[in-house]
Amino acid sequence: MTTLTDAAPRFVVDALRGERASRPAVDTTSAPGLRSILEDGVFDVMGAARPEAPIVIRASSLRQLAPSTDISLSPHGRVRGILVNQVLRLLSVGTSVNNPFDDALKAWRLESGTNELLAYVDQLNGDELARLETDVTAHSITLIRSLGPVPSRWLPRSSVRAVQQLSGGAVVLRDVIDLMVGTTVGDVASVALFDVTTSPLSESSERTMRYHALVQTLRTGIVPLRTTTFSTATGEMWSLDVDSELLMRSAREVLATLEREWTAP
Amino acid sequence: MSTLVHRRHTRRELNELVASAPQTEVTLNDDHRRSLSARFRAVAGNDHRRLDAWSVEQAGKTGHDFRWSPSTARRVLGGGALRRTRAAPTLSIGEAVSDEITDQLLRAASGYARHGSLGYWLASATVPELGLITAEALNWATQIFEIGAGLESEWQVAPSDAYYDVARARTTLRGRRDLMIEGPEHRVIIRVRAGLPGKSAGPGLRSDLTIDTLAHPSGLAPSRFIGVWPEAGVILGVDATMADLRSGARDLVRTAVAQQRFRAFPFGKQIR
Repeated sequence: MTTLTDAAPRFVVDALRGERASRPAVDTTSAPGLRSILEDGVFDVMGAARPEAPIVIRASSLRQLAPSTDISLSPHGRVRGILVNQVLRLLSVGTSVNNPFDDALKAWRLESGTNELLAYVDQLNGDELARLETDVTAHSITLIRSLGPVPSRWLPRSSVRAVQQLSGGAVVLRDVIDLMVGTTVGDVASVALFDVTTSPLSESSERTMRYHALVQTLRTGIVPLRTTTFSTATGEMWSLDVDSELLMRSAREVLATLEREWTAP
Repeated sequence: MSTLVHRRHTRRELNELVASAPQTEVTLNDDHRRSLSARFRAVAGNDHRRLDAWSVEQAGKTGHDFRWSPSTARRVLGGGALRRTRAAPTLSIGEAVSDEITDQLLRAASGYARHGSLGYWLASATVPELGLITAEALNWATQIFEIGAGLESEWQVAPSDAYYDVARARTTLRGRRDLMIEGPEHRVIIRVRAGLPGKSAGPGLRSDLTIDTLAHPSGLAPSRFIGVWPEAGVILGVDATMADLRSGARDLVRTAVAQQRFRAFPFGKQIR
């Protein structure tokens, strides 16, 4: 179900968790069923055969269901995404971001040391670097203006990793949730998942939102309240309340992706 | 025979593992300590060695030299923050992490932080870098808090890791522990790790169990030692049986031998 509010919320954070009174009871029973469906589905696809290396499925694997050119997968697009994510991490702990590009780059360097994409940034010439900086700054400003203060009582966690093995490790579901708020301890569902993308929102964004909810459910055994995505390209936000139908749909999408990857030459 | 148990990480399963911890009392006495010391002394080497579950899991392979990073600092800062919130429940975890970092910075500013310490490293960080370190520490503290808050038994944040100096063997053992449940019937220790448990996760857990027992003033073993991998949603548990304690000790000695070989032949030359 897509959540529609009567009035547009002032900040993204306001729409993340909604009213406490309207939250459903926490669902701790769906996770084992979903795992069974996935395990059965993996067996249907792969049978008794085992790949030499585990088949890894990520949110990005689901984005590529239809063959297309995605500019967010170019080095420039990937660096932009990483840096905007770093800005989100800083904002989530109340750090003031005065120069988004420099601040995010410093944080990223500290986090990852040296890697291929940082090497890509280091070899950019002045014009290319200026273009990247302008791009990152524009996206970050959209985020800074829209996000709003994240209360520390909401237990914000950023870049939360999850890895789930299926079929004894033959298939691995990997995921990183940009920002997660709320607790898994309580009688009502309160965990909200928040994803930031630098691309415009599309059908694949919905798949990603569902995938985050599915992997989080498998990881904790508790169904999250809501999954949300925000585009820094358009300032648009989509939010879905998590229910069994949404999770089932995501499980089917994961199995379709697995079938595609398993049968790919 | 090993008592290693494997469960999915849910509140119910974790509480069940804590509640069903055996109530038998297993202790390591002076004879056990002397025997362990003799085995470590038999491993040649002039340097002081330091062993932990990680080195057991890596079969003694020495990695890079330690350096501070957001992921190595998060456990120290996050654990400290959580202890603050337990002492002052009105404090949020975010505020406690900030206080913990501020304390470290004050220590550095007042000249009490030695070169290479966490405070010294934090003092050299820029504002965005401190923001990232805060975010990592907050993630860690929240993760541990969520595990603790889901427990039905009274829990506390471990005051420190377990350390045991093996007498006359120039060896220090370090056992990781994050949460402790100490009741009249049993003592259960919970250790939290990132990533996926590998094939050697069981030996690692048994090593931590053995070190914790050795570090206990009267050698009393925890009834159950539980490893939680929240990213993978997996729990492993090992009970304090004499077989598991022996197995943990053997793995630690084997790791010391392997480390010695790596030091003697750093380029992989085989000993025939």
